[in-house]
Amino acid sequence: MSKIIKNLKQFSTANERLEGAHLLCPGCAHSIIVRELVNCTDHNLVIANATGCMEVCTAVYPYTAWDTSWIHIGFENAATSAGAIAETYKVLERKGRLNKNAENTKVLAIGGDGATYDIGFQFLSGAVERGHDFTYVCLDNEVYANTGGQRSSSTPVGASTTTTPAGSQSIGNKTTKKDMIGIMAAHGAPYVAQVAPNKWKDMIMKFQKALEINGPTFVNAMSACTTEWRFPSHQTITVSDLATDSLAFPLYEIENGVYTINYRPKNIVPIKDYLAIQGRFKHLFKPGNEHIIEEWQKRVDKKWVQLQKMEEMTNS
Amino acid sequence: MANVGWDEVNDAALLNPFENSMQDLVNTAQSDRDYSLFSSFSASTASWRVVKPIYNSDVCIHCQNCWVYCPDSAILSEEKKMQGIDYDHCKGCGICADVCPTNPKSLIMYEEATVEDSALASWPEKKKKEKKA
Amino acid sequence: MSKEYVLKEVEFWDGAMASSQALRQAEVDIMAAYPITPSTPIIQNYADYLSNGYVDGEYIRTESEHAAMSACVAASAAGARVTTATSSQGFALMIEVLYQASGMRLPVVLNVANRALAAPLNVNGDHSDLYLGRDAGWINLCTFNQQEVYDMTLMSFKIGEHKNVRLPVMVHQDGFICSHTAQNVAPLQDDVARKFVGDFEAVDSLLDFARPVTYGAQTEEDWHFEHKAKQHKAIMDSINVIEDTFEEFEKLTGRKYNAVESYMMEDAEIAIVALGTTIESSIEAARQLREEGIKVGIVAPRVFRPFPYDKIADALKNVKAIGILDRSSPGGALGMLFNEVTAAIYTNDTKPVINNYIYGLGGRDTTIADLKQIAKEIQANADAGKLTTPVQQFSGLRGPKLSFFDMESSK
Ligand code: SF4
Ligand code: SF4
Repeated sequence: MSKIIKNLKQFSTANERLEGAHLLCPGCAHSIIVRELVNCTDHNLVIANATGCMEVCTAVYPYTAWDTSWIHIGFENAATSAGAIAETYKVLERKGRLNKNAENTKVLAIGGDGATYDIGFQFLSGAVERGHDFTYVCLDNEVYANTGGQRSSSTPVGASTTTTPAGSQSIGNKTTKKDMIGIMAAHGAPYVAQVAPNKWKDMIMKFQKALEINGPTFVNAMSACTTEWRFPSHQTITVSDLATDSLAFPLYEIENGVYTINYRPKNIVPIKDYLAIQGRFKHLFKPGNEHIIEEWQKRVDKKWVQLQKMEEMTNS
Repeated sequence: MANVGWDEVNDAALLNPFENSMQDLVNTAQSDRDYSLFSSFSASTASWRVVKPIYNSDVCIHCQNCWVYCPDSAILSEEKKMQGIDYDHCKGCGICADVCPTNPKSLIMYEEATVEDSALASWPEKKKKEKKA
Repeated sequence: MSKEYVLKEVEFWDGAMASSQALRQAEVDIMAAYPITPSTPIIQNYADYLSNGYVDGEYIRTESEHAAMSACVAASAAGARVTTATSSQGFALMIEVLYQASGMRLPVVLNVANRALAAPLNVNGDHSDLYLGRDAGWINLCTFNQQEVYDMTLMSFKIGEHKNVRLPVMVHQDGFICSHTAQNVAPLQDDVARKFVGDFEAVDSLLDFARPVTYGAQTEEDWHFEHKAKQHKAIMDSINVIEDTFEEFEKLTGRKYNAVESYMMEDAEIAIVALGTTIESSIEAARQLREEGIKVGIVAPRVFRPFPYDKIADALKNVKAIGILDRSSPGGALGMLFNEVTAAIYTNDTKPVINNYIYGLGGRDTTIADLKQIAKEIQANADAGKLTTPVQQFSGLRGPKLSFFDMESSK
């Protein structure tokens, strides 16, 4: 029962399922994304949340911000938990023990990039490979924000983090971001997509699709982090716009192997404009580091060409 | 929430956001829900704020940009109409003011101590479009 | 609906089969498991029942034991009767989630075919894994033979799911010695077993949307202590339900179980305290020794957690000397069973002489002769009224005698 949401006015009639007074930082994109996620559908939702900012800030006894069923077990096992809940649903339904009020339930897993790209990678791989009917949403802020800003395998080149601090001998993080979307697609997941909260319509369209499609679906959500990316809290949407318009986070989906680019910026913004607004990349603008930004631009351009080719190839 | 003793805390630290049985959650407005003391709806983050958004309904076009981008579920919206700010839950991030498209803005960030009436009385005028060079 | 599996009055089952059959009769909804020797046949048998319609459930073939226990916790919170089985390294990998299961008060049942922990790697039986999980907040039931594996596994669901308990339960059996050797087992017929275990009643289910629930909230310094205290009280109090369940089972089968089992203790002068299949060997050794005039009895905690402190003290109140046997490398201390049993009898008026044996590590065979030798040393302590040996000795070990705390010679 995904609802049809034609415009924002209509969307705004949704009754909230994530309450305020959670403890996420002012301006956090996590809760923008998750609000849109839980409010874009009428399905009952069971959420398995991995350890991370979203988890640690929404269920601190004696308060829960969740109006729907929610469980946090560990850092690494949100996908496993979601898969197991989906299997339980199946068994209880078959054995006639499912609550009447549980009809039309969808199972969601939520994790940060730490939980998804790193510590829970094997668990996610296992759960997707087994084909459980659930949707995994990664809140990708490219850093272990909850533990104080350490790099993850999603952290891009040149980001200064607390474990890859930029300094006289270091440009910050030296590795390129892991291609989680490609990896999930390679598992044969029927639906894989990337979203960003500033493009709310695209985002909820993909969330709805991911929830509706039977089997394991994966959505990587770009989540600008005011604290660790170091920008003022009111600029979350501005930074997100630069991320999508510079193609640092291209918005696309892969449905049964078929690529679709969902957003083609009218004016592609240079990557340096996206980097310049964030404190974590400040050092890249010092003399001598120009090449890092140039290489970055090349990488983005190349990925964009690749994506367009994949789209062409898989649609022909 | 009072700090009760071990014999009174919830088994397994489970939290139920609603007092009684909740039928048809998605079709029940917040105002009609029977929130328990365990829902963060019952809590407040007002003390986090340094600045706060003030809302001017005269300029608002009810586009709901502020509603969709507020990270703290603090924009009160009813029947497609912006109703104002939920100051118990607003943290003062300023996103709503940033994304508000009207000219002048319908949401502007002010010092927390600002009196709403005086802010509204001296609301900025419509800005002229900067001519493109 | 699952097919009935007709059982003979007496079956010839190994320990793994005994537990699988009990799991089948309990009509487990979800098994989530990863194979590891020697627990593997337990899950294979279940897979077989599933493939042939003898049980209606789902088997989640996880990619690790950590995931297996994670799936159990989530499925249990969603209202399923769940189970898994493991050993050794797999058990070690589960540890994080064991604490989650008990902290969330979820009645998961875990069959453990006890096995040593690496390094060095070893696939055989000792109690290292059992000891590793002892503070995880689970009810621990110990078995000494295949019949008991079947009985305890059936009872574990009834105990853990009881509304006053709501805690996960482990059932331990010795790897290989019990899990892979067969003895006569008298099972219940399916309908009788099902009736005994009862239907699963979901509590605070994630799939009850009339009452949405948040599982796994964080509690910091102003709440954590109270929650852990309440959880501790629940497991301490569970002894009542455990004993009631034992009684109900006795009425049904005639097989009587106790929180602490005593064998030949009525007139015993000395006692051996141990766990696992060593109990059966000790009983045989005791029979032989009694012919020589040595009055040895055996005491074994059937319920290892909650630890029956008072009942241990009572069982050992009349003996002059006690040998406490630990089948786990103590890693720089006296054996755990030694420490706990010694603490339990401290308040008894009798002050028996107590010593500790480390034995049988990594599946080293413990023979009747070994146990008789141990009993004779305990008897010597009783006769002397003091230690005639060091406090801790290794039994069945090659090389020079290894022992610690020679209290007499250090005087
Ligand atoms: S963003 Fe501005 S114009 Fe749009 S609803 Fe909010 S206050 Fe009104
Ligand atoms: S300032 Fe931030 S928290 Fe407050 S209403 Fe605006 S967007 Fe929401």
